[in-house]
Amino acid sequence: MKKVDISSLNPAKFIKLVPSRDQIIASNPANPIPHQDTYAANKIAKALHPDKQFVKIAKVEAFSPDVKRYTFVPDTDKGTTALAYFSAGQYLSVSLTVGKAVLTRPYSISSGPADALDGFYQLTIKRVNGGLATNYILDNWKEGDSVEVSAPLGTFKYEPLRDAKTVVGLAGGSGITPFLSFARAIAKGEEDMHLTLLYGSRTRDDILFKDEFDQIAQSCDKIKVVYVLSADSAENCESGFLTADLIKKYAPEGEPYSVFMCGPQAMYDFADGEIAKLGLRSKFVRHELFGEYHNPERNADYTAPASETCTITVRVRDEKTSVTASVNDTILVSLEKNGIAVPAHCRSGECGWCHSKLVSGDVYVPASVDGRRLADFDYGYIHPCCTFPLGDVEIVVPAK
Amino acid sequence: MDKHYDVVVVGAGNGGLAAAAVTSQAGFKVLLLEKHNIPGGSASSFKRGRFEFEPSLHELCAVGKPDQLFDTGKLFKRFGAEVDFRYEDNTFRAICTAEDGYDVRMRAGEDNFCDDLEAIVPGCRESLKAWFELERGDQRTLDYIDSKNGKPNPLMMILKHGNFMRDTSYTVEEVQKALGMPEKARNILNTYWGYLGVPTDELNSFHYMTMVASYVRDGAVMPYKRSHEMSLALEKAITDNGGDVWYNSEVVKFLYNEDGSCAGVQLKSGEKIYAKEIISNVIPNNVYAMSDIKYVPEKELRLANSRTLGLSFVTVYLGMDCSKEELGVEDYTTFISKYANPRECYNHRNEGAYYVVNCHNVAIPDASPEGTCMLFYTIPMMEEDFPKDLKPEEYKKWKNSVAKRFIEDSEKVLGIDITSHIEEIEVATPVTFARYLGTPAGEIYGYQMAGWDSILPRIMAAPTDFTVKNLSYCGGHAERGDGYSCAYMTGMLTGDAVVRRLKGGK
Repeated sequence: MKKVDISSLNPAKFIKLVPSRDQIIASNPANPIPHQDTYAANKIAKALHPDKQFVKIAKVEAFSPDVKRYTFVPDTDKGTTALAYFSAGQYLSVSLTVGKAVLTRPYSISSGPADALDGFYQLTIKRVNGGLATNYILDNWKEGDSVEVSAPLGTFKYEPLRDAKTVVGLAGGSGITPFLSFARAIAKGEEDMHLTLLYGSRTRDDILFKDEFDQIAQSCDKIKVVYVLSADSAENCESGFLTADLIKKYAPEGEPYSVFMCGPQAMYDFADGEIAKLGLRSKFVRHELFGEYHNPERNADYTAPASETCTITVRVRDEKTSVTASVNDTILVSLEKNGIAVPAHCRSGECGWCHSKLVSGDVYVPASVDGRRLADFDYGYIHPCCTFPLGDVEIVVPAK
Repeated sequence: MDKHYDVVVVGAGNGGLAAAAVTSQAGFKVLLLEKHNIPGGSASSFKRGRFEFEPSLHELCAVGKPDQLFDTGKLFKRFGAEVDFRYEDNTFRAICTAEDGYDVRMRAGEDNFCDDLEAIVPGCRESLKAWFELERGDQRTLDYIDSKNGKPNPLMMILKHGNFMRDTSYTVEEVQKALGMPEKARNILNTYWGYLGVPTDELNSFHYMTMVASYVRDGAVMPYKRSHEMSLALEKAITDNGGDVWYNSEVVKFLYNEDGSCAGVQLKSGEKIYAKEIISNVIPNNVYAMSDIKYVPEKELRLANSRTLGLSFVTVYLGMDCSKEELGVEDYTTFISKYANPRECYNHRNEGAYYVVNCHNVAIPDASPEGTCMLFYTIPMMEEDFPKDLKPEEYKKWKNSVAKRFIEDSEKVLGIDITSHIEEIEVATPVTFARYLGTPAGEIYGYQMAGWDSILPRIMAAPTDFTVKNLSYCGGHAERGDGYSCAYMTGMLTGDAVVRRLKGGK
């Protein structure tokens, strides 16, 4: 019987392994290696996800003293020659310096994806009472100003393998902005979906982009817009709130649909209750980011610390600083107020860009916005954008 | 002001983490620089809705059990990095839909594995046993070489360790054929080829055997809280040792002394950091691009030009709104192929000839909320396979079309409905890996482990391949090739060598 072994193979081949490899190496040229950016995949990565983009304000349209639309074009002087393409629903994180504070704010893009290829983005910004950023922007930004923004970001977008063919959009107030982008993307054939938009405003005068929506809806049968007024009544408008009955009235019959919502926290609270009545599977319900978290003391699991102020000691690379902070502000906000630049994008606990290490001290993270990874809990990692100090804390923050 | 360290490690991937852990443990002043904001490179996690996805790990090998640790397990123990590992019972299910195809499940454990394969291919047992025995012999040879500090007696090698010399010189299939292993048994045994990215008629026998034996015999594990858990455990080990870890700190330049030795690195912020030793977890190609070309040795350029970039992938992550039972998936790993032979699968990879479907919840039942489960598709893609003329604005449609094709194919092959249960989806492609890892063409496997450039010649030639003083390399592009455990090992071994040099040894 034949022996089962590998004695038929020549062990001496081993001796030639390195010499024959060296021969192959020697037969190749000593040319410089192609730079990574010459590969197709790297080129696309760079085009879609630039580290940052410098843009110039080309146009300011005031819809009212409290709502303005800004059109941005590439700031070629600062090296941005093209704008990154995006998916409808995504946002830009805008960098601002207000007094000594350095901060960022996420704003949904209201222009269409194809517009980015044509060289512009639009952001529509509404004043928030007492809001540091919106007040600054509305009172200061003017044509010709240069602004630094992030690459387009965010997961509030249409996914054909996940979402139903028809999306029922629930928009409240300035939450309308991403839906204008969706409508434009559908009209241009960039997104293959239907959009039935239930757009809630207080009065007829508060409706934004009415002419634009009406025009798009008229030219594209995949888009329908229903104006819903909570404190007014007008012809061709619904009155009241975004209720389950209203959704049922306009949603397609006998086929699944997805609900996408964007608006203030109060709208989410109300709409979630209404959607529960419809018995939709959770895969068919999507929320845009919740936005900055305020008033943790309203939560039952929050215990107010004895002192309203605390000290945050922060290490960025090898520089250590201490700042005095209010326990009512998130750690991110306190650092920014003190001029410490912190990486941040979504500011809603989700994206993890501000991922930082808590070295010591106690903190409170509202469960509803706690987007940390499982292992982060074991190793003391936090997202400062939704974390409140409960006393003195020390943290390590990545450089911006 | 310029900063000075004993050791600067560039890149906090698996190799960089291990290298920083070793050197900081030895008491040196160490700085680990990472361009992303979390450690691990591919070894991390990401969240979508109610799901936290594992981005890249299929199974970690060579961990062992607490009472008998193997190399990777020992490495974590050495650094005091505690990880909650979960063990798997089966190695894989392999479905080949070709005419001469099969649908087999292989249990873990050498005896189980041999029994299972014998039942499928009667008469293969003896050759399979001999194959595993060869692998054990190889390990004895490695112990011997170790005992001689890497300088074995050539005569002893020929007299006592001839099989090791054969295994490291021949391909997987040459060795299996010499053992008389039937073709079908070879094809099933060689199912794992994709994890090393080279078909088994070219892949080195020793390399493949080591990996398979480790999966089959020692059992494969998954970290309970995704790979992010392993990376944070290692990061903690480094900072506990007094090492510094800086995130969002991209290196854009390697600095050299007049004599050609490496002096340090420059960050994107302009800051220069000098060190006695620089360890790069970044692939040499990128280091050359960040170096004044006059300091790059000619041989290194020739070597890089002679190599093919390793595999990248399209990976699809699905959060399902039903349990694995409702879905009808019982296996953690299912390999699906259209051809039985690995070379055919490799040649037809662009037609969807070979891919892997993992269900995380089989290994870790509570990895996602009750009533849900997660699926993870791995589809190999080489640099040359990526559509060259794709425009950025066409990218999303392209990646979704690839994902759709494989989801639908797996529905047919497995006879289950996946599409209507997708609650979350993310599709990563070479573009995604190029974005997060910064690798050329988004490669993940470093350089292809081609027949001429296999593991042993790489290890033996390393001292003459890379000759820039004070600069060394670790990671998936290094001697041992891709894979978590290999990347960790090269990081540790490179770190050990650096420690020896810093202590004045050779």
